[in-house]
Amino acid sequence: MKPQLRSYLNSLLRRNSVESSIENELRTHIELRAEDLERTGLTSAEALRRARIEFGPIETHKENIRSSLGLRLLDEFRADLRYAIRMLRRSPGFTAVAVASLALGIGANTIIFTLAKGILLDRLAVPQPNQLRLFAIIRDRHNSPLHYFWGDFYRTPDGRSITHSFSYPIYQLLRQQNLAKPVLRDLFAFKDLLGQRLTATIDGHADTVTGQLVSGNFYQQLGVQPALGRAIQPSDDAAPGSGLVAVISDGLWARVFGRSPSVIGKTIQLNLIPITIVGVNPPGFTGASSVQLSPDVFLPFSMQPTLIPQRTGSYLQDPNQWWMSIMGRTGPGVSDEAVRSAFAVWLDQDIRATVAVPKDASMPGLVVESGSQGLAEITHDYAAPIYVLSVLTGIVLLLACANLANLLLARSAARQREMSVRLALGASRSRVLRQVLTESLLLSSLGGIAGFALGYLGRNIIPHLLSSAWRPAPLNARFDLRIFAFAAAISILTGILFGLAPAWQATQTDVNTALKDAASSATRRRKGLAGKSIVVFQVALSMLLVVGAGLFARTLINLNTTGLGFDPHNLLLFSIPAPPARYPPPQDIALHQRIEERLEQVPGVQTVTLIENPLIAHNISNIAFLPTDQPKPTGDNLNRDVNGVGRSFFETYRIPILYGRSFGPTDTTNSPRVAVINQSLAHAVYPNIDPVGKTFVSRRHQGDPEAIYQIIGVSADAKYDALQEDPPPTFYTLYRQAKEEQFITYTIKTQLSPAAILPAIRNAIQSIDKDLPLRDIRTQTEQIDASISQQRLFATLTAGFGILALVLACIGIYGLMAYNVARRTSEIGVRMALGARARQVLWMVLRESSSLALYGIAIGLTAAFGLTRFIRTMLYGLQPTDPATFIRAALLLLAIAIAASYGPARRASRIDPMQALRHE
Amino acid sequence: MPDQLNLMQGTLDMLILKAVSLGPLHGYGVLLRIQQISGDQLSIQQGSLYPALFRLEHQGLIASEWGESDNKRKAKFYRLTAFGRRQLRSETDNWNRMASLMAGILNTTPEEI
Repeated sequence: MKPQLRSYLNSLLRRNSVESSIENELRTHIELRAEDLERTGLTSAEALRRARIEFGPIETHKENIRSSLGLRLLDEFRADLRYAIRMLRRSPGFTAVAVASLALGIGANTIIFTLAKGILLDRLAVPQPNQLRLFAIIRDRHNSPLHYFWGDFYRTPDGRSITHSFSYPIYQLLRQQNLAKPVLRDLFAFKDLLGQRLTATIDGHADTVTGQLVSGNFYQQLGVQPALGRAIQPSDDAAPGSGLVAVISDGLWARVFGRSPSVIGKTIQLNLIPITIVGVNPPGFTGASSVQLSPDVFLPFSMQPTLIPQRTGSYLQDPNQWWMSIMGRTGPGVSDEAVRSAFAVWLDQDIRATVAVPKDASMPGLVVESGSQGLAEITHDYAAPIYVLSVLTGIVLLLACANLANLLLARSAARQREMSVRLALGASRSRVLRQVLTESLLLSSLGGIAGFALGYLGRNIIPHLLSSAWRPAPLNARFDLRIFAFAAAISILTGILFGLAPAWQATQTDVNTALKDAASSATRRRKGLAGKSIVVFQVALSMLLVVGAGLFARTLINLNTTGLGFDPHNLLLFSIPAPPARYPPPQDIALHQRIEERLEQVPGVQTVTLIENPLIAHNISNIAFLPTDQPKPTGDNLNRDVNGVGRSFFETYRIPILYGRSFGPTDTTNSPRVAVINQSLAHAVYPNIDPVGKTFVSRRHQGDPEAIYQIIGVSADAKYDALQEDPPPTFYTLYRQAKEEQFITYTIKTQLSPAAILPAIRNAIQSIDKDLPLRDIRTQTEQIDASISQQRLFATLTAGFGILALVLACIGIYGLMAYNVARRTSEIGVRMALGARARQVLWMVLRESSSLALYGIAIGLTAAFGLTRFIRTMLYGLQPTDPATFIRAALLLLAIAIAASYGPARRASRIDPMQALRHE
Repeated sequence: MPDQLNLMQGTLDMLILKAVSLGPLHGYGVLLRIQQISGDQLSIQQGSLYPALFRLEHQGLIASEWGESDNKRKAKFYRLTAFGRRQLRSETDNWNRMASLMAGILNTTPEEI
């Protein structure tokens, strides 16, 4: 094998010298022979002539030599390629349409694959990520002994919830138990501080950064070495407040410090606490919670009480607060079930040892998941959409293939004579097949290159569509070799797919009939069938895409026109986080009161309100609501949704008060606690009686004592966390009657534009404290738009795909009908000569195309009926088999089919019988 | 000139290997050598020698280098490689077995069955 390869490479790379060497060798032979012949007495000219005759045909021998060297195939391929290029150049219109449609198909697939890879395939950038195991607990929503969670959670289909949050004491106990009797290698822990971004003061410049708290053994267990400096060590995490050190991300290092090595040892302020940077993470490392984005700073858990102090005391000692995630590496031969059962026993013991467990409580269970993607929130959120998008883009590519197959089929029929001549001259069928496939692969490669470029340029489109003005995109689109391999693979695959039909047809050519002139009309029926079924297939695929586009567009329209219950216009939102080091509770409440009062004075501000959970932002609070004078509500759910607001909340959001009154100046920090409930809650808890004046018991925040609230009014219903949800039964409490700041947002009603009023607002806030940052500035409409970014993404993309599908279907139908009319010119001429009228001919062609379209529509509708239920959860306000959408899509496609074939039909109706008959 | 035999399929390669096994030769020399040792009984079309030579070289059975012929002409000389020598030996064995087998079969008389 080796000498062959060497000889092959030699002849490939030094083709010219190989050729001249062959030439020399053969000439030497002939000359030597001629000399020998001369010696027998011939003249030199005669000897040379004889030598040549004896040698035989030189060119044939050379060709055989090349074939011996394995160069024949290559030469043929080159010739095919040259020929294919010439063919494509000769019809630039066809080439442009083909390459453009392929580029769109392959580009769309490349973009979606880039996302799919990031969401479904990428793993944490640590050695052996597949060894990582992530702990989760599964619990009943109502009867669990655990109440206070800060972290992700997911509903299971049976109504329980799964979260990756544990308490710090539990983590310590589990870790000790595992060390005493090892099941996993050492446990380690981490917590993303995404919700509570840190205020960073770096060289006197204030900014906000994202952080991750990590245990002392985090780097050691993950096996990650910092690119610079040292990692966080167990000694940093030993005692609360001891580890004033941080490791920063490669991104922050580049963004803020310009990759200067002198960053090691530098002291920055985080939430006004001085912290020393000891290390820089390697590029690509994103921490343990997300594969997509890295937090900016990594800090030891020991810093939690200092960095983000809580009124209830240190979370490190609090067994009731469940907030941190636990991971461990598993060893070979340890089954997940073994891990689960060992830790489940310990977890049960440890919960009973740390929190009060009522007699009838249902204990949470332990779940062991793969930790290779971290918490994989992105995977949870986007896996289903990505599958749907992959299918849709797959259909687009299939459609582009069908279109090309159709165009190529028409061309290959037109090239039948050429193929017959080739076959007649002795080309083998496989040789012809190879040539036709070379042409389609050339086309698909061109399309692939253009598509890859398109995919590269468009890689940020989807992350951009999902990002909002004040928040970064939750995804990133990293390009790597796998994406190139994917694009190359689908290009080749499509080339073969759309090249097969024409290639097959080319080899089926019957030399004898094809070389005769009249053959074309004799074989019309048979040849038409392949093209027709492709057009039917195209229409069916287009139907699917158009129905999808219709469903998603109507979902978006429904969401945009759904009643909110409040007026979202002219509202400006921002948040002002008070650094806890400077404003420990309850001074933070006092600060926000001062800011609220100061902002009311700013010219242009109509009203100001604080709000615990901004509306339509996927945030919600839920707490016990126990009426004091009503029977205990049936069912075990005593909790109701709640929002802490400012006095002018109802005025600012234009939510009408139906009975009683709104909050007023008499409701102060020290006056009796009051609440407004919405109509749904009034109906649910106080049927047929006036709730105003009634009282209930609630505990607004963790650590608060239970308190009695009096209902002072009933408001109209307004949506709370999501457009898709009906307004939930909700009660509103007054922010200033709370004990500590929750995540707080300011809402300002103003007729001015944000740009016009912001400077005044900034000045007002800085006159109170110049270190206070103003963050997440957006309008309420932007907030609502951001909450439906996924739906908008789908509507936008599927609308694009739908239009693309219609254009391709148009081209397909037009191409087929134009081709058919051209072939049938003489037949139509005969018909007209026999008395058919122009109208009849027109109808004949239109009937043919619309019957094709109807077949396609029927198949597409059936498929859509079967498939759309997979997107049921992504729709709003309509059924997946929405008849209006289906009917409109069908009519649209029928209209498009008729419009596309009208041109050819008109041409057919204007055929002059005399000319047509002469044409034959 | 005696009656010439046409070459049997697949035997040209063996003849070339045998010819160059006796010493390095250029293409024309291979032809002369074969004719010499066959006593001019084989007809070989001269040009068809070369595709065979290139194929054998491609397969690594023979190697070539440019040198000077007897009459001071630049020519490409072929020699047998170690791999070619092994191949020649095994093909010679095969041929001999086949030949004696064929001879035995073709010489069978009705009495012997």
